[in-house]
Amino acid sequence: MYRLFAIPTLIINVSIILLPALLTVVLAFYRWDGISNPTFIGFENFEKLWGDRIFWKALKNNVIWTALFLTFPIAIGLIAASLLMLVRRGRTFFQVVYFLPMIIATVITARIWQGMIYNPQSGIVAMLNRYGYDVRDPLSQTSTALYGVAVADLWHWWGFMAVIFFAAMRQVSQEQIESARIEGANYFQLMRWVMIPAIMPTIALMMVMTVIWSFLVFDFIFIMTQGGPAFTSEVLSTMAYRKAFYELGVGYAAATALVISLFGLTAAFFYIRLQNREDAE
Amino acid sequence: MGHRLKIISGALVAFVSAQAVVAQDAVTWWYEAANPEQQAALTEFMIDKFNAKNPGDKLTIDYRGSELDKQLRVALLSGTGPDVVNTPGPSFVATMARAGQLMALDDIADEKGWNDRILPFFMDLGRFDGQLYALPKTYETLGLFYNKAVFKENGWTPPTTIPELNALADEMMAKGIVPFGSGNSGWRPANEWQVSIALNSIAGPDNVQKALTGQIPWTSQPFVEAINELDSWWDKGYFGPDYFSLNGEQVMANLAEGTAAMSPTGSWNFGLVPEYFNGRQDEVGFVGFPSGEGVPYPIFSLGIGSTFSISAAAQNPEGAAEVIDQVFSEEFYTDINNVWQGEWNMPLRDLSGVSLNEDVIPLYTESMAALASAVNENQYGYTTWTFMPPATNSYVVSGIEEVWLDILSTEDFLAEMDKIFQQELAEGKVADIPAR
Repeated sequence: MYRLFAIPTLIINVSIILLPALLTVVLAFYRWDGISNPTFIGFENFEKLWGDRIFWKALKNNVIWTALFLTFPIAIGLIAASLLMLVRRGRTFFQVVYFLPMIIATVITARIWQGMIYNPQSGIVAMLNRYGYDVRDPLSQTSTALYGVAVADLWHWWGFMAVIFFAAMRQVSQEQIESARIEGANYFQLMRWVMIPAIMPTIALMMVMTVIWSFLVFDFIFIMTQGGPAFTSEVLSTMAYRKAFYELGVGYAAATALVISLFGLTAAFFYIRLQNREDAE
Repeated sequence: MGHRLKIISGALVAFVSAQAVVAQDAVTWWYEAANPEQQAALTEFMIDKFNAKNPGDKLTIDYRGSELDKQLRVALLSGTGPDVVNTPGPSFVATMARAGQLMALDDIADEKGWNDRILPFFMDLGRFDGQLYALPKTYETLGLFYNKAVFKENGWTPPTTIPELNALADEMMAKGIVPFGSGNSGWRPANEWQVSIALNSIAGPDNVQKALTGQIPWTSQPFVEAINELDSWWDKGYFGPDYFSLNGEQVMANLAEGTAAMSPTGSWNFGLVPEYFNGRQDEVGFVGFPSGEGVPYPIFSLGIGSTFSISAAAQNPEGAAEVIDQVFSEEFYTDINNVWQGEWNMPLRDLSGVSLNEDVIPLYTESMAALASAVNENQYGYTTWTFMPPATNSYVVSGIEEVWLDILSTEDFLAEMDKIFQQELAEGKVADIPAR
C-alpha cells in the first residue's frame, strides 16, 4: 500500500525527466533539424563528434572548469565554514553575506561582472586603465576568457559551499572538538584530524555534485561570452545549444548532450558506490 | 428573496458580458524584445487601432525576448504557438514551410493586394516551391556610419574604394582614432556584419549570388581575397582593442565622442542616433561601404530582420491576415517610424503617402531613399543572416573569430564554410535566391 505514495513523484519524474531523456538518447541516432521529420543515421552523429575539433576543445574546457570548481570553492568554503565555527558573534550575518550571491539571479551577477567589472569602458578595468594599470578585459582574450567567466561563477558559488560545510560542521560532536582542543590541537590539526574527516561524506557529495554541475555549466558562459572568442570558452552545453538552436542540428546536439550525461553518470556511479560502502561499514 | 434575485440577475449580466468578451476571436502574435516605450507604441498604433477596426477580433502581442525563434520552433512543432509567426529570416521560413507549419499566403495576398503593395524582390524571398509563405517585416542594410565632425576637422572624405579606405584608416590609427568602431559583446553575431560587408563589397554580390545558388564554391578566389582583406583589417587594429568587450551602445557612444571615426554596421542603429548624437544629429553620416576592384559603389547588402507568416495551426487565420495587412499599411508605417526608426522599414512600393515628423533625423529618410535606389539599380548584396542557411551562418559567426585570432587560415575557414553550406544546400535549407 505504501508504494502508492511513490506514484505522484513517479508520474512527474517519468513524464518530465525520463521521457525527454529517452527521447534525447533516441534522437542522438537521428539527423533532425527540430522542424521536419527525423532521419535515422545510426552512429553518424557520434562519428562526427569524434572528428569535431570544437567538441574536443569544449570537452577540455569542461575538464578545466571541473578542476577549478573541485578545488577553489571547496577550499574557500571549508576555510570560511571553519572560521564561522570559530566566531560566535555575527555568525548569522556572515552566513547571510556568504549566501547572498547565490540568491542573485545568474543573469544579473553575470552582467555585473561583464559590464561593471571587466568592461574596458564602463567597468573597474576601465578605472584601472585610467590610473595607468595595463589591465585587459579577461573575457576578450583567448587565453583568459574561460577563467574570466569561472571567476564570476566562483564568486557566486563558494558561499553556498561555505554554508553547506558550516551546516555539516555544526553536526560534529562538541565533545570531540572540545577534547581535541584540551589535547592541545591547533586550528590546522583540528581541521585535519577532526572536522574534515567528520564531514567527509558531505565533502564527497559536494565533489560528486560539482563534477555533475561542471559538465552542465551553461548560464554564466552563455551570458558572458557565448563560448567565444573563437570557441575558447566553449563548453559542451553551449556547443549543444548552438548546434540545436542556431544550426538546427538537434540530433547532433542530442549526441553532445549524451556525452555530458556520461560524465554525470560516471560521477553518480562513484557516489552511489561510496554511499554503499559507507552503509556497509 | 428580492436580494437573492438581484444577485442572480447581477451574475447573469456578468456572465453575458463575459460571453461577449469571449465571443471576440483572439489573434495572437509573439514579438521579440521591446522596451516599454516601444511596447507602448505597438499598443497605440497596432493593438488599439486593430481592435477598433476589427470589433470581432482581439489582438494580443506577447513579448518573448531575444530567444523568440527557439520558442516558436518548439511551439509550432507541437502544433501550438501564435497565429502571427515572426521568423528570423527566409532560411528559417524555408524549413518551416517545407515541414507544413506555415500557411500558404497566395490567396490572401491576391485578396489583400500585397503583391501590388510590397516590392517584388522581397515578396520573392518569401516564396518556396512556388508558393508564398512569408512577407518581410523590415529590410535593413549594412553601411558605414561616420562622425562628420571628426572628418571635417581632419579634412577627410568618406572613402569609396578599398585602397582609399585603407589609407584613411592608417591615418586614423596614426592619430589614435579607432577606424572601425565595433564590438560583439552584446550580440556575438555582430561578426556576421563584417563578413557580409567583406563578401559583398570586396568579392562582389554577383559572386555571392553564384555561391548561394551553388554555381561556385565559397573557396573561390574572390572570397579568399575578401576574407584576407577583412583579416588584414583585424591584424592592423582597425577594429580597435576592445572588439570582444564592447556592445552596440558603447560603439555608438564612441562614434559620437569621436574616439572612433567610422562604424561598419547596420541601418537598425539609426534608432540609437538620437540618444548618442543628442542635439548634434547633423554630425553623423551614413554611406555605403567602400567597394573592391571591379565592384560598383555603393553595394548595400540587404537583410531581412524578420518575416511574417501565418501558422498552419492558427486559431484565427483571418485575424492574423488582418494584422499583417495592417502592418503593411502607409498609416502604420508612418505612425511607427515616427517614434521607432530602423526596425519597421517595411518594403512598401509606394512611400509617397508617408511623411515622417520633424523629430525623425533627415539622414534616416535620405539613407532609406539611397538604399531603395541602390536596389533598383541592382547594387544590392546579400547579408549572411538572411540568405545563408542556419548552420553555415552560425559557422561564419564563430569561424571568422578563429581567422582573426590566427587559429584558422582563410582557406581552412572557407573550406569548412563551403562544406557546411553544400550539405545544407543539398538538404533544401537554402532560401530561393532571386536572379539578379
